[in-house]
Parts: sequence; C-alpha cells; structure tokens
Amino acid sequence: MITRNWPMYRVVLENLQLLSLLPRFNLKLGFGEKSVDQVCKAQGINTDFFLEIANAYLDELYVPGEGLSLFSLGTMVDYIKSTHLYFTNIALPTVAEKLFRLMDQSDLSEKEVNLVTRFFSDYKEEFLTHISQEEEQILPYILELERQSALQVTDPDFIQKLETYSIIEFAKEHDRLETSLRHLSELIIKYLPPFDDLQLCFQVLNDLAALMKDLVDHADVEDKVLIPRVAELERKLLKRNSHV
Amino acid sequence: MKISRFILVIDSYLVRKGLVSVLNRIQGVRVLREFGTDGPLGSFLQHHPVDFIIISQTGIDRSADLFTTQPELLEKTILIEESLNNDPSGNGHNRDVLTTIRLQEDKESLTRKIMALLENQEEGYLETRTMELSPRETTIVRLVSLGLTNRQIAERLYLSAHTVMTHRKNIISKLGIKSVSGLTIYAIVNNIITIEEVTSKPVR
Repeated sequence: MITRNWPMYRVVLENLQLLSLLPRFNLKLGFGEKSVDQVCKAQGINTDFFLEIANAYLDELYVPGEGLSLFSLGTMVDYIKSTHLYFTNIALPTVAEKLFRLMDQSDLSEKEVNLVTRFFSDYKEEFLTHISQEEEQILPYILELERQSALQVTDPDFIQKLETYSIIEFAKEHDRLETSLRHLSELIIKYLPPFDDLQLCFQVLNDLAALMKDLVDHADVEDKVLIPRVAELERKLLKRNSHV
Repeated sequence: MKISRFILVIDSYLVRKGLVSVLNRIQGVRVLREFGTDGPLGSFLQHHPVDFIIISQTGIDRSADLFTTQPELLEKTILIEESLNNDPSGNGHNRDVLTTIRLQEDKESLTRKIMALLENQEEGYLETRTMELSPRETTIVRLVSLGLTNRQIAERLYLSAHTVMTHRKNIISKLGIKSVSGLTIYAIVNNIITIEEVTSKPVR
C-alpha cells in the first residue's frame, strides 16, 4: 500500500499502471526525490484523496467504500470530471489513432474497415453523450444537493424537486461503457485477419484493456460510492424538511 | 460466465490469505472484500450484493445479530469449522448454513466444494437470468446486423412494427448496446452472423 512519505518516483516506477491517474490530478513527471505528500501539496491536491484513489486503483480486491466517503462530494465531482477529460482527450483519441493506423497498414477488406470505423465512431458518440449527460445534469445536481444540505434553511424549490427526483433514477439508467470495447477486442482476436504489425496490434489490445479497466473502476466509484452517498444525503435532507 | 462474489469474514490473517489464494485460482470467483471479524460487515452487505460469505466460527458468533435479523444470509454462508468434534450445543445458526468447510480441508477438496457451489448457483442463475437473449431476439439481432430496417424485419418475421420495436428495446436493455454497429460486432463475436455476411456500409 502506498503511503504519503514514499518518494513519488518510486510509487510510479513500481506501479506503472498509475500513469493513467497522473493527468487526472494534473501531475506531470519530473518528481525528483519529492514524496507523495510534497508532490500533492505543491499541486494543491488533497494527499489523502490521492492515496485513497491510487490504492483503490492498485488493489484488485478493493471495493470503494468507507475510505472515499471521508471526502466531500465536491472533491469527488472534481475527480470524476477530470477522469472524463482523461477519457475524452487522452485515452479514447490515443486508442482510436492506433486502431486506425493499424487498419491503414493492414490488408483488411473495405467491408471490415467500414465495420470497425463505423463501430468506433458510434461508440465515441455514445461515450460523449453519456459523459455530457453526467456533466450537464447529474454532477451539477449533486453539487447543488451538497450546497443545499449545508444551508440552515433549504430552498423550498429544491425540496420540491427532491420529492419527485432521486439519483436512483439515474443509477438505473447508468450504462456500462466497457462492454462494447470488449467486443471490439474479441473481434480483433477472433475474426479479423491477423495484422502484420504485431507491435501495434498488441498496443491496441493493451490500450483497450487499460481503458476497460479504467472504465470499470470509474463506474465503480460512481455506482458504489457516489450514488449511495448522494441517495443518503437526499434522504437526510427530505427528512429534515418533512416536518416544516 | 457469471461472476460469483465472495466476501471473507475470518480473523486469522493466514487462513484468510490462504483461502483467497485458493479462491483466486477458481474461474468465475471474485473476492470482493476480506474482513477481520470486527469489520463493518452489516453496512457492507447493505451496499454490495454478494453471493457467498465465507465466515469463521468467531465471525458468525460475533455477527449473531445480523444473522438473526437477516436469516436469508445463511443461505449464502459457508462456515469454516474449526474443530473436528463440532460442538452441537454451539450457536443455533450453524446448522442452517449453506455448507461448511473444515480448517483441515486440503486444496483439492476445497476447490471441488467451491466449484460445486458455483455450479449450483449457475443453474439457479440461468433460470432467473434475463440478460440472455431469447431465440426471437437473437434472430432480430441477426437481421439488424445484416442491415435490415425495423420494417423489413417486421415483414420478414410476420410481426407488427410495434412488436419489433419492443424486441429492440428489450435487446438494448439486456445487452446495453444501442447502435447497429455495436450490435453487429456483438453478433459476430457471439457467432450469430459471420463477418463475411455483414453488408458493406459506407463510412460516415
């Protein structure tokens, strides 16, 4: 388990999977001998939050829960937003670029190229819709909920909204984005003609696998930590205002 | 294949880690969480669905309240018997647990027991499972992947357009795949159509 006094360079060197977390915290390499705590402080990051996320990320058995509930919903919402940015601006374009380069160099038939191209563009569209729905509706709602519950007197309009809406509605509709990526990997491994550029093909499969893992982790944070906490806060706020 | 979710409630670190290492070698097992016997078991179970709880005698004794208020948990519980001469005057819950394993159990018999439980669960699971496509839905996925419109599908299968729409909605909710291209790839990797059958479509 990583702790605050470890040198950051060792943390990353020994756990290269963590590289995909760095951009989400706006951390850049070149750590020198600085500890995790020093690096986080210099960047204005809550060290405990970073440690909780990093340890959760590394521990296959970890189920997010108690640890993450110590942080404000605002902190979690910020992290979720920066993870979205990582997905849309880094992870997805990178794998797309490699996938298309791989197909350009291959002897795939036009039919096969179209199949994959179309699949990827539809997937990207679904992905962006999913994220923008969260960013435009769900996350602002969560921030407002946290703000309202900190107030002495809750805005009656908000209470009215709470009586008809709950985050649970969103949870029911919360799609899993990793499934389709698995189908794409399966297609490459099972049915597309083998690619000559093995290195690039492995990179594509590795990138897809890493993205799938990131998406699973991310959905876990949302479904298992964020949503239960928001639902709990909704209940508390309703209860507090039920006898007014 | 279904993933079965396990949690372990065992105070002995060595026993716990030993079990985890055996469990992790069995396909379809996911150990969600390990608890010493003082862990927040009750609140964990409120938030996380689990399929099996492997628990030590001390664990079950200490969580007696939980098992009394939620007796259905016993149907998921695998008890570790710590001594050979099991004391019948012990806690009344013990006789109701799903199964028991002995502390002295060797690796093979332990693995067999767990695998038998998974198989039973799989059977029960298939009966109630709704994620599997019905034959009719599979046919529709096939036709969608071949590029047919809802109307063409309705004509081909002698169904109303409305019925086809209902099937398509059910397919989306079962598979979580909305786009035609996503369904096409699904159909290929699940051998519903061959890659050669897919009609060529212009790139958008």
